[in-house]
Amino acid sequence: MSVVAFIVIAFMLTAYVLLDGYDLGVAAVTPLVARTDREREGSMRSIGPFWNGNEVWLIAAGGALFALFPQAYASAFSGFYLPLIVVLWLLMFRGIAIELRSHFPSEIWHQFWDACFFASSVLLILLFGVALGNLLRGVPLGPQGYFSGTFDELLNPYALLVGIFAVVALAMHGAVFLVLRIDGPAVQRVRRLVTRLWPAVVVLYVAVTAATLAERGIGFSWIDVIPVLTLVALGALLFFSINGRERGAFIASSLFLASLLLQAAVTMYPYLIPSLPPRKGGISIFDASPSPVALASALTVVIVGLVVVIIYSVLVARQMAGKIVVED
Amino acid sequence: MDVVIADRLQFAFTIMFHYLFPITTIGLAPFVALYTIQAARGDADAARAAAFWTRIFAINFAVGVVTGIPMEFQFGTNWAAFSAASGSVIGQPLAMEGVYAFFLESVFLGVLLAGKDRVPSWLYSTSAVAVWFGSWLSGFFIVATDAWMQHPVGYTIVGNRIELTSLPAVLLSPFAWWQYLHVVCGAMVAGSFVVAGVGAYYLLSKRETVIAQRFVKVGVIVALIFAVLVVFPTGDKNGDEVTKYQPIKLAAMEGLFNSTKDAPLAIIGMPDTHTDDLIDPIYVPDLLSFLAYGNFRAGVKGLSAYATELWPPVDLTYYAYHVMVGLGTIFMGIATLAALFLWRKRLFDTPLVLWLLMLVMPFPYIASEAGWVTSEVGRQPWIIYGLMRTASGVSPTVASGEAVFTLIGFAGMYFLLGFLFLYLTLREIGHGPV
Repeated sequence: MSVVAFIVIAFMLTAYVLLDGYDLGVAAVTPLVARTDREREGSMRSIGPFWNGNEVWLIAAGGALFALFPQAYASAFSGFYLPLIVVLWLLMFRGIAIELRSHFPSEIWHQFWDACFFASSVLLILLFGVALGNLLRGVPLGPQGYFSGTFDELLNPYALLVGIFAVVALAMHGAVFLVLRIDGPAVQRVRRLVTRLWPAVVVLYVAVTAATLAERGIGFSWIDVIPVLTLVALGALLFFSINGRERGAFIASSLFLASLLLQAAVTMYPYLIPSLPPRKGGISIFDASPSPVALASALTVVIVGLVVVIIYSVLVARQMAGKIVVED
Repeated sequence: MDVVIADRLQFAFTIMFHYLFPITTIGLAPFVALYTIQAARGDADAARAAAFWTRIFAINFAVGVVTGIPMEFQFGTNWAAFSAASGSVIGQPLAMEGVYAFFLESVFLGVLLAGKDRVPSWLYSTSAVAVWFGSWLSGFFIVATDAWMQHPVGYTIVGNRIELTSLPAVLLSPFAWWQYLHVVCGAMVAGSFVVAGVGAYYLLSKRETVIAQRFVKVGVIVALIFAVLVVFPTGDKNGDEVTKYQPIKLAAMEGLFNSTKDAPLAIIGMPDTHTDDLIDPIYVPDLLSFLAYGNFRAGVKGLSAYATELWPPVDLTYYAYHVMVGLGTIFMGIATLAALFLWRKRLFDTPLVLWLLMLVMPFPYIASEAGWVTSEVGRQPWIIYGLMRTASGVSPTVASGEAVFTLIGFAGMYFLLGFLFLYLTLREIGHGPV
């Protein structure tokens, strides 16, 4: 049952990265592709009806982690106190920027919130990437299972490399999404940007994979076929973008990200917070879960709820899809 | 600063600021749904009203969302020992809030804000109702979490962990239900006074008269209904639960230091914890005995019956409770007065009552916050009543300096947010339902 709980958490976080990932990515590419005030407005409006629902995946994942693995929730959140609060502030800033930009018809007002939108989103991706990097590498844990290292240890080269990879990969994801949602001359610029980001993503993917193998040591199992999926998705992304099959490109980009997160989850399993040095224990899904009765109850309510959420989210997204119109 | 104080200050500050926005969300959502449905039936004025209140609702919701995010995570960041011990219980209603309520609100608010020309009209109206339902459901899960901390049920203790044995026991606890209904009624008083107050402002400014009269009319009627319901039965029953399970809190709320038969009710008076007495009190004889136990001769235990270390901070609990009750009484008075004028068809040209309706708008917010202060400060020194002390619940790895730093950060950010919120909301009200 702990394994199912692990899968549920991994699924929710993957959903968060795929969905809010394009919101963050749109913010990251906007300064590169949108040149006028109206284009920047279009860029922000492209995620307007979705970003809030997308962000709920993170909040709900936090709640689910609390219910399913209270020990890990407590140890991780208090151990990484400062970085986590900074993430919260950035999430707040991004939300404020999106909500407030449209309320005042002044270029200065717009420029300020556009800058906040960009900066908070890029920093968020970077921090999420650094966090994932540290989880893959393992973190120093004290005897009670609380983080025992220091803040600057979290900014190690490996974690920063994962962070940069995250920024570039989600920027591409955001660009692929933006093509689906906007019209006008900016679309051509976004298309060109996708083909330019693609080689950077490939190079960083190879670099991160090599670095991960170097950090964790090399060991093969059947699960190592995941990179094949990753590479196929990457190839499909380029193929669909060049041929103007925009939906296909978005699906390929989503598959690419999902395969990376699957890889990360498989690497970490069965640990939620692996210890440093790697493969020397940590907080595993078996230590962190509550009694079977509580776990069964939490799993039931969360899974049933998620099925309902997915059904109506898909229904609404279909109704709301398509290009937005920015009027004067 | 003591780390427990720093953590408590941060939680109190962030939750009290955050809660201002759910009050409006819960209290305004039914009105948004009402006008959206009327608009779908071809009522042109209702369409303008719906668009107007949806805009106000959206600004409010946005600030509510961004200030709500830290709440979900602060249990882990600042209260790790509490979370590790009790997560198997309170994690569940919190997870359910995210999965069942928050998604519903967010996804369908997206439709309500950007989907008018994209989705069929039935889905548009349904979205308004879904947002209403989501906001009320969200409130329930949060109150159920708090009610469990007030009166834990459905658990067993295994080693140093509190393990859930029955989720239905947690969600169906009478403590939770009476508290929830009380909270919703309070929010409805706030929401309906906002609708009536904004209408009164337009009438006094001699603009938007037709729509403004509708706002005032529906606002006053709903305010009267909920101003009564918030006291009876919900406030009364909520009080019964406190009497039953938290007699020390009751004594602090009432400023009752010494146990007595035929206990009087202090209408005003200032508690003095040095002399253990009320300064300058005005009493109604025997009434507290009656309210607590339904019998004018019933004995009520005073604070002195318990060890001082089990007392909550008496002054804060006492004042918060009296502010809430005093304001609740005033709301009933104003709503009754306005309803009488409405019934006699003289409300729309009686400036004095319209002024009252306009000026009363902020006070239900103060009353709601005061109610929560009564409930949560009155729960001290426990974080889980009778099971775990607040001082044992903090994160072992977070120093007070860190908590103070983040508290200052939150204060700065919320100052900016509060300023922007007021500015934008007043601007929308200035624009009016156009």
